[in-house]
Amino acid sequence: MQQVLVNIPSVPIFERVVRASADEVGRALGFSAERVEDLKLAVSEAVNNAIDHGNKRQPGKLVEVVFALHNDKLEVHVTDEGGGIDTIDFSRKVVDEQNLDAGMHRGFGMYLISALVDDCEVNSSQSGTTLTLRLYRRNQDHDE
Amino acid sequence: MTNETNEVIRREEFGDVAVLHIMTNSVDAVSASAIEAVATATAMRPITVLDFANVAFINSAGISALLKFVVSAKKSGYTLYAMNVTPHHQKVFKMVEMSRYMPPIEERDLAAYR
Repeated sequence: MQQVLVNIPSVPIFERVVRASADEVGRALGFSAERVEDLKLAVSEAVNNAIDHGNKRQPGKLVEVVFALHNDKLEVHVTDEGGGIDTIDFSRKVVDEQNLDAGMHRGFGMYLISALVDDCEVNSSQSGTTLTLRLYRRNQDHDE
Repeated sequence: MTNETNEVIRREEFGDVAVLHIMTNSVDAVSASAIEAVATATAMRPITVLDFANVAFINSAGISALLKFVVSAKKSGYTLYAMNVTPHHQKVFKMVEMSRYMPPIEERDLAAYR
């Protein structure tokens, strides 16, 4: 197994650094262009969640992202340094009249993650939360 | 450091139509506030089109910013469309049912208004 490790301060612009890494890793694994876009969006949502909700945008706190390249899958571990969480809501969120009128325009991130990757899991403690995303290699994926 | 101060949206107007060309390639947490700032009734027209030709990436923070246009259009009784949306972004818009409030339009459909 090979690993790519990226640590960023909890500043939104550095999410773009992780996203660029996801793009390169996805391409290196031979994922299709569509799955690379899915990977980038899912990783982006996980990192933004860690920055905003885990580390509360405190620049001194790091978000650690590990891309673990297995023969059969890619695992992405996104870890914050926050105080932990009880649960994450992955249920489907859509734009609707009620939410628009109430000014509720956020909250799509976790649903998008769950819909775009093959599976995901959360491990949380008082010293931080790790969100693990998995994309399995498929027959149509190929080594470059 | 995290604010995008360059021109994020370039506005074009003809008749009852405003085309808002999104100039940033990343509609995300960094560009969101600059995009939201444009989402006012004065920037819009009865037919308002968001042009995504330059946009390579949109995440949920970006979707939240784009929803400000939906709200402004709704309040003003204007119609909002999306143009030059990539297939991946069309998929994401459908997932969150954004396309119900911002259906796609083709460039050629605007020709009648020019």
